[in-house]
Amino acid sequence: MDLAALKTQLKNFVQSMFEEGVLDNQFSQIQALQDSTNPNFVEEVITLFCNDAERIINEINRNLGYQNVDFSNLDSYVHQLKGSSSSIGANRLKLACANLHQASDERNKEGCLQALQLITCEYCLLRRKFQALLHLERSIVELETNQK
Amino acid sequence: MAHTLPSSDQSSDQDKWDSGGLECKGQLLIKIVMRNRLTALVVDGDTTCWVLEQELLHSYGVQTLGVDNSRDAVDLIASDAEFNLIIIEKILPVLNGLEVTRQICEIGVRCKMLEVTACSGESERQAFLAFGVDVFIEKPLDPEHLVPILRELDGQ
Repeated sequence: MDLAALKTQLKNFVQSMFEEGVLDNQFSQIQALQDSTNPNFVEEVITLFCNDAERIINEINRNLGYQNVDFSNLDSYVHQLKGSSSSIGANRLKLACANLHQASDERNKEGCLQALQLITCEYCLLRRKFQALLHLERSIVELETNQK
Repeated sequence: MAHTLPSSDQSSDQDKWDSGGLECKGQLLIKIVMRNRLTALVVDGDTTCWVLEQELLHSYGVQTLGVDNSRDAVDLIASDAEFNLIIIEKILPVLNGLEVTRQICEIGVRCKMLEVTACSGESERQAFLAFGVDVFIEKPLDPEHLVPILRELDGQ
């Protein structure tokens, strides 16, 4: 595939993520912060986000495994995940966090478990799409480098 | 029963690249010309938010310093470090954001304070405003909220 076609594919792929509601306009803001002085910014942020998100989701899962759930502790984790999801533009994941936040507020353990299932699904979807996005970007870079 | 996450691939690719598929800086960010060099302190325990908020401020020419816990924030302020703007998250390691705000105000800091948080109720919002926070917004920190504050601090 030539460079122009790859760039079009990337653009269309990101657009599809917006249309599916996986990403919102905040991700465009992050893309806008990347330039030649900070060329890896998007990849770095995605990597940071995914590392933190997985850690938090695993912590939430562990907390909900206890017979007596510490909802105050749970609140802190949900708050953090919602914040980072909002900040990176992960729209559907942010909405899923809101569900867990509500269930946690209601001290509803079953509701929390259901909400966590949704969060896990949304996160796995997002991570797959981010990995595909980064793969396309790296292919573009490789082609551009080879052409110089 | 909740699902457990499979482990993800760790990216360690450090190749420099310039993706033509991405928007150029300035097309989406609200453009302003700053007359003064402003300084800001970002206090947020979440790495993603911490990095993004600092980069956004940096893109507007604001010199930023970031700390990821409340103790470091209070110690910094107590050591007479001065900032035009302090951005605080509500939930922080060590002390919560409300307590940090109270301690910073007790020290006598008189700069613009912005609370940026993921989720909060009206009572908490009012509590922060009563303790001295100037602006309370829900994440993400975006140019729409930030630019008017920077303009005001810049005397525009």
